[in-house]
Amino acid sequence: MTDYENHPAVNNLRNYIRIRSVHPNINYDECINYLKAQAKELGLPYQVYELVPKNPILVMTWEGLEPSLPSILLNSHMDVVPVFEKSWTYPPFEARLVDGVIYGRGVQDMKSVAIQYIEAIRRLKNKGLRFKRTIHLSFVPDEEKGGKNGMKNFVKSDYFKNLNVGFALDEGLASPDDSYIVYNGERSIWHINVICPGK
Amino acid sequence: KTDNSNPFWVAFKSATDKMNLKLDIRIFPGGTDSRYVRRVGIPAIGFSPMNYTPVLLHDHNEYLDAEIYLKGIDIYTQLISAIANV
Ligand SMILES: [Zn+2]
Repeated sequence: MTDYENHPAVNNLRNYIRIRSVHPNINYDECINYLKAQAKELGLPYQVYELVPKNPILVMTWEGLEPSLPSILLNSHMDVVPVFEKSWTYPPFEARLVDGVIYGRGVQDMKSVAIQYIEAIRRLKNKGLRFKRTIHLSFVPDEEKGGKNGMKNFVKSDYFKNLNVGFALDEGLASPDDSYIVYNGERSIWHINVICPGK
Repeated sequence: KTDNSNPFWVAFKSATDKMNLKLDIRIFPGGTDSRYVRRVGIPAIGFSPMNYTPVLLHDHNEYLDAEIYLKGIDIYTQLISAIANV
C-alpha cells in the first residue's frame, strides 16, 4: 500500500483541511496565506482581489503560449459548511488518515479539488510542459452562503473580464458507483413566499 | 452545453474517454458558483473526480479515500492538458 502519511500531495490536502475556513464569520487570512505559499512553490504569479471586505479572492495564473486566446478557469471555493462536532468519529479539522481514508470537513466539498488542481499543475510544470491557453486557478469565498460576496460579484468585475475566460471547471459531486458525475447546467432556485391570511 | 458545438467539451470528453472514465451527465440540483460563470456566457462544467464515494458533503464524517483523491490528480493532469490546448 502507498505510504499516504508521507505522500506530499496527500499532506498538502490534509494541511488545507486543517485551516478552519468554516462558516460563520470566516477569517480567510490563513487560507490566502496558504495559497500564496502554494503559488510561490509552483512559481506562478498571483493576485488577491478584495471586492467585498473580508472576502478575498486569490487567482494564480499560468500563462499560455498564446495568451491572447480565451483562458481556462479552474475554480474552487475556500469555505466549508459548519460541523456538529459531537457527531464526528474523528475531529473534523484534524484531517485524520485512517486506513487510507482522509476524514475532514471539506475533503469532498471541495478542498480536494482545489489541491488536485494545484498538484496537477505542479506535475505538468515539472514535466516542462506548456500549453496554448493561459490557465487561471481561482479560490473564492462565500460559496456555501450563495456566493453573494464571492463569485457572484467577481464575474461582474473588470478583474474577471480581464482574465478573458473561455471555459471553466468547478465542483461536481461524489458518485457512489463506478461512474463520474458531470454537470453541464444547474437548476434555477426560486424561493416563493406563500402568504395565507386567516379569516 | 455538452455537444460538439463546444470545442472545450469535445476536449474534455475525449480526455475522459481516453482514460475510460464512465461519465454520468446531469443538471446540478443545487446552486454552485458555476451558475454565475454560466450567467455571464462562459461554459462551465461541474466535475469532482470522486467515484466509489458516498455523497457526504455537508454531512458528519465527510471522507475521501486517498487513492481516489490521487487518481483525481492523474485525471486532472490529462483533462487540463486537453482543454488548455484547444
Ligand atoms: Zn462546494
